Amino acid sequence: MKVAIFSTCIMDLLFPNVGIAMVEVLERFGCDTAMPVKQICCGQPTYNSGYIKDTQKVMHNEIDALLSVDADYIVGPAGSCVAMLKEYPHHLALDPQYADKAQILTDKTYEFSQFVYRVLHVENAGAELNATATYHRSCHMTRLLGERTSPFELLKHVHGLTMIPLPHLENCCGFGGMFSVKEPEISRQMVDEKVDSVLSTEAEVLISCDQACLMNIAGRFNRRGEKIKIMHLAEVLNSNVDPARITYNTDAALVAGGGTYADQNI
Amino acid sequence: MTEREVFLNHLAEASGRARHQLVDHPFAPINALPATTLSDLSAEELLDLAQNRSVDLQVDFQVTPQKKLPQVLNAWLKAQNAQNILLPTDPRLSEYGLDQWLAHLSPTPRFWQPNAGRATNLDAASHADAAISVGDYLLAESGTLTVATTRGQGRAFHFLPTHYLSIIPRSHVVPRSYQAMQAYRQALQNGTLQTSNINFISGPSNSGDIEMVLIVGVHGPLTVSYVVIDDA
Amino acid sequence: MPIKTSDQPFTTRLKESEADKFMQRAVAKAQDAQWDKRTASREDLGNWPEWRELGEQIRQHVIRYLPDYLERFGDNVEARGGHVFFASTDEEASAYIQKIAVDLDAHHIVKSKSVVTTEIDLDQKLLELPDRTLLESDLAEFILQEDDFDEPTHIVFPTLHKNRDQIQTIFEKIGYTGSNDPQEMARFARKYLRASFLEADMGITGCNFAVAENGLINLVTNEGNADLVMAIPKTQVVVMGMERLVPTMQEAAVLDTMLARSAVGQRMTSYATFCGPAMPDEIDGPENFYVVILDNGRSNALGGQFEQVLQCIRCGACLNVCPVYRHIGGHGYGSIYPGPIGAVLSPVLRGYEQFGDLPFASSLCGACSETCPVKILLHELLIKHRAVMNDRLKLDHSFNNTVMHGIGMATGTPPMFRMALDVDHAMSGAMVKHDAPTVENFSNHNGYFIHAPGMAKGWTDSRDLPRPPKHKENFRSWFKHHQEASHD
Repeated sequence: MKVAIFSTCIMDLLFPNVGIAMVEVLERFGCDTAMPVKQICCGQPTYNSGYIKDTQKVMHNEIDALLSVDADYIVGPAGSCVAMLKEYPHHLALDPQYADKAQILTDKTYEFSQFVYRVLHVENAGAELNATATYHRSCHMTRLLGERTSPFELLKHVHGLTMIPLPHLENCCGFGGMFSVKEPEISRQMVDEKVDSVLSTEAEVLISCDQACLMNIAGRFNRRGEKIKIMHLAEVLNSNVDPARITYNTDAALVAGGGTYADQNI
Repeated sequence: MTEREVFLNHLAEASGRARHQLVDHPFAPINALPATTLSDLSAEELLDLAQNRSVDLQVDFQVTPQKKLPQVLNAWLKAQNAQNILLPTDPRLSEYGLDQWLAHLSPTPRFWQPNAGRATNLDAASHADAAISVGDYLLAESGTLTVATTRGQGRAFHFLPTHYLSIIPRSHVVPRSYQAMQAYRQALQNGTLQTSNINFISGPSNSGDIEMVLIVGVHGPLTVSYVVIDDA
Repeated sequence: MPIKTSDQPFTTRLKESEADKFMQRAVAKAQDAQWDKRTASREDLGNWPEWRELGEQIRQHVIRYLPDYLERFGDNVEARGGHVFFASTDEEASAYIQKIAVDLDAHHIVKSKSVVTTEIDLDQKLLELPDRTLLESDLAEFILQEDDFDEPTHIVFPTLHKNRDQIQTIFEKIGYTGSNDPQEMARFARKYLRASFLEADMGITGCNFAVAENGLINLVTNEGNADLVMAIPKTQVVVMGMERLVPTMQEAAVLDTMLARSAVGQRMTSYATFCGPAMPDEIDGPENFYVVILDNGRSNALGGQFEQVLQCIRCGACLNVCPVYRHIGGHGYGSIYPGPIGAVLSPVLRGYEQFGDLPFASSLCGACSETCPVKILLHELLIKHRAVMNDRLKLDHSFNNTVMHGIGMATGTPPMFRMALDVDHAMSGAMVKHDAPTVENFSNHNGYFIHAPGMAKGWTDSRDLPRPPKHKENFRSWFKHHQEASHD
């Protein structure tokens, strides 16, 4: 099957390690990957700041770019950005040129862990990570995308990995896109509490499916001089892989979660 | 045009929707959960649930056959060390076979009296350390007692006394608010009930206003007891 | 106080909130405790998603036919012998209630908790009249009153910002000599207020839901004070926002349980009452019964993109899950309606001049929308407020505004973005700190930023920023090579 990579601007600009890991994992499970070069950003920086008009051309560009490759699926390494793509049909409902395209885009777009778990039906990705770790659940992936299961299921099967529950899992890390620079005083207090929660687990590694949250939490960790290692889930699943460990989930009820946020029970 | 018309016309105009469309679009609930929730419980399960949920609220919950009701009430009054007892003027006391008990009750109780005026009755209620009311329904889901105000059992009857007990027949233990509401609405519509006030009471009064520490007994009664007469 | 509680600028209020460590700890503790209680009580009800759909439907239906329901309700209140006054503004409402107190020669007023009476500044207006006493009877509101009408910080727990020692000090001013034990202090308040109840000649309450089918007012409390306000004084005034209607007592009961579970994690509040003017042969209850129905800016939301906000049943759950409220508290918002609902509602009622900062005080984490029992998509409404301010009103003329348009341009135009991808590693060299980061796998490209210009300064004031990779090391370059290699 052919998978178009939805790279996201943060990964494109700052974190090649995440993209590389994601591509390698997908290819390990038989995906033929493509990288539509004209894609840029899902549009959240401007849309969430209330610049709705400025966001129209961002969304148009992203749709044109991602649909320019004839792929079966579109997969991205960020729950938040994928949730935004899934809101396109809602945002562009009255756009005569793009409403239909937005729906086509949405129907085949998945967040990385969702895709691996629900579409590829991977149970054990074959990875090994000898560490204690905790997982940061991003707000948009949880509440807007409605994905609460996939990353935890996949992490459960990583060889050597001990997961420690993160206290106050439900609280935002304070990133919030432009919120972090527009309301720095509030954002700092939020991320400080998150850093404290992570520290309380004494985990060696902080894992997430949203690199932007990780960048925020790690940025504060680093400023405070505290030690931790951050890893995107794709990097974890790409660690020290032994193909003999790979198993698949045969549960047919694992329906691909392809709904939009409006269907989610938020 | 009246001030009300001006106000309502403004709302219609602001919303861009014409007035008087409701008559053709009455409310039709999207689901029947209020009616179906807990509706499949057996009589025993219903009573058990009522008890468990009442106990959750720190309500003292007892089930008694009617013939033992006087003993239960006496024991409760004794436990409260009741000196000033308040009772309703209500035919249900007789229906529950309490005439004899009433005749010998000591200390002599005061009654909420239909003909005695506001000051007298409020005085009786505010001095009462123990009040025994007749309840209409008990909602199993939430351990909630319901009472409609009558001439013989006023509003303050349920709030001013220090300790409070209510008697409910077992046949009036219902799953949840839905069943009680249906009964009240029907009674109000066909005129068998005339009231200005219906209370849903779930346990003693409480507050979490000081550091969210639960305090039981703020303005209303400090303790609440339900006595269910096993009339099944 | 009116809706606005502070003349301080938002940034000042934030600093004050951050300095108030007791408040922050109290809010965090309250949020955590409520999280468990709320979740448990919703699970115990079962089918919560379907209950939410029903709650949403009831509220949307009422808003859709609001004038008709108000008319039906008003007729039924009058049929019971009550009076209904429709007030377009806060001043009309409070002037009308002042006049009732004068006309009926009422001097001893008791109130039960009502945020809408705070909205119309009613306490102050009544105390302006000569020779009047007024007592807030809800324990929390009583504490605030005795603390010189301190501002509330929460719509359900108004004194969340006060600790037991502060409350003890407040009570000592009115003769309390006991300890700081909450139970003991509550008993003191009970006794103190009981005397006032018995001599009260006018009671004032809010209204959780107004029942159109029979003109009764539905009020929920845990303390029982509202019921005493409705039982003892001969005159009762009910103040309600115009959107509080429900078709019948059945829908009120549905919303009562959803409210109790969402607000305090209870199946029902201790008291849920349906009341109107006393019948002629009843002994207590109000002989004179007035309902004041208030617009005061609510109609601004009708028919527009903010109409959903009128669905609100004031449970406060959105405050209890909000990570921003957790840190800035009620006073940070500077509105009697704080938290996510306040950030949406306050600008609707009073405009962006007063409350334009609030819609930006959210990370859009969606916890509010997730918990709302009547499915108000609060985080979306916050974005809509931002859009009105930016796109339509052009309120933001700052440097940041220019930058945001620039970001829109850059993220919508592939060649510009490619330029950004190419230059930023090199360009950034001068601002980079080259020490080894303490966080592993955070910045893998020779250093990280500790200072950045422009908008990014907000980031680097408290966080380090990873340094971008060189062009040949970025993801796109890697992918190109990777693809060429695999096709060889």
